[in-house]
Amino acid sequence: MKAIRMPWAAPAAVESQRAPRQSPVEDEVVALYDQLRVPVMRYLLANRVPAADAEEIVQEIFLLLFRNLQKEKLGVNTAGWVFGAAHNFWLKHREKTRREAGLVDGWDAGSEGVADPTARADSMLLSAERQQTLMAVVRALPEPQQQCLQLRAEGLRYREIAKILGMSLGSVANALQSALARLARADR
Amino acid sequence: MHLSDEQLLMLADGELPEGDAVSARGHMQACWTCREKMAVLENTINAFIRERNEELAERVPSAAGPRALLRARMAEMAAGQRPRRAEWLVGRVLAAAACVCVVAGTVVLLEIRARAEGPRPNAAMTPGETRPISLAEVCSHPTAEVVVQDISLETRQRVLEKYGVRSGVPGDFEVDYLITPDLGGAETVRNLWPQPYSARWNAKVKDRLEQRLHDLVCAGKVDLETAQRDIATDWIGAYKKYVGR
Repeated sequence: MKAIRMPWAAPAAVESQRAPRQSPVEDEVVALYDQLRVPVMRYLLANRVPAADAEEIVQEIFLLLFRNLQKEKLGVNTAGWVFGAAHNFWLKHREKTRREAGLVDGWDAGSEGVADPTARADSMLLSAERQQTLMAVVRALPEPQQQCLQLRAEGLRYREIAKILGMSLGSVANALQSALARLARADR
Repeated sequence: MHLSDEQLLMLADGELPEGDAVSARGHMQACWTCREKMAVLENTINAFIRERNEELAERVPSAAGPRALLRARMAEMAAGQRPRRAEWLVGRVLAAAACVCVVAGTVVLLEIRARAEGPRPNAAMTPGETRPISLAEVCSHPTAEVVVQDISLETRQRVLEKYGVRSGVPGDFEVDYLITPDLGGAETVRNLWPQPYSARWNAKVKDRLEQRLHDLVCAGKVDLETAQRDIATDWIGAYKKYVGR
């Protein structure tokens, strides 16, 4: 059954023929979706979630948001809530991917098992493009640093990041500073 | 006494307490060393954000389709009922969304038992079942996707219960037709089973077979009955036969 692909294949037909009578909650969710879809997609893609899976996760997040808004359950910090949900979905996705692969692969294990992962990435400087190099350094960072960096890159404040990742404010600041120091060394 | 790297970052990010921020800014005005360190920090942030967003921007598809799907899913959830007959095309779109919601619904409510079924249905429980359909009906749509039918909540629950699926994680399973509706598959529990996405032979692979069979049937290269039989008896074998690889 092609339940997923069909509406995507003909969005214009969907929009034009439905003559939608959207509820205020649906409109509100769509407005938030338009505002946050790209940042959340970027966050998931940066965490190596395949694009199709990332899109589906974004759908799930906003359907969850829709349900919560119907029950008036959402607090004031919508972006923080959405990224918190994205983080949790990513954790599930990663766990599933690892389980299917039958191993704990080099995703972030490298950052724990290699003495200085940045050194390996640094060596790429000589031959690789700057973008590739910077991204390689990011991927070699310890996972908390990567997560802090990616969430900060999407505009989240330290307090929000700390809540999502279950870290202290000081740890967030420290992780970001360490990550940027490594990036600065690699980009010299 | 210079500002630490962490203080500089927190100052740049507006995360220093106000009193500390005032002192830090005062220090910065007097200290070229800290200003130079701040410039390096800002350059690093600029380089990272520019390269990151540039790399990722290329991989984010257009929002139009996904937005339409989200609207359809929300409408379906809000309505909580099947669409009216008059809204034929809309109904099919929403039906599709409803099918997605079968899987999506498991997102919140359910968790799948560890004993996941394989890529083939249980032949005793899901032998495949057809409904009367003409070749003209099959071929009235250019793609197999267009002819998709709603699966009632009750039927879906019966299928899941039959296969011992108690709960689910999003996207793990798709309650799928064995014989796809566009080839005359019926919406009965004998023609439905929870198909895992995770297996190599998953729902998405089967979608390709269904499209291929639709094309072959409509091109007169395979008769409808053969297509129905082949997909019902061994869809993986049929995939190898008709799609290859």
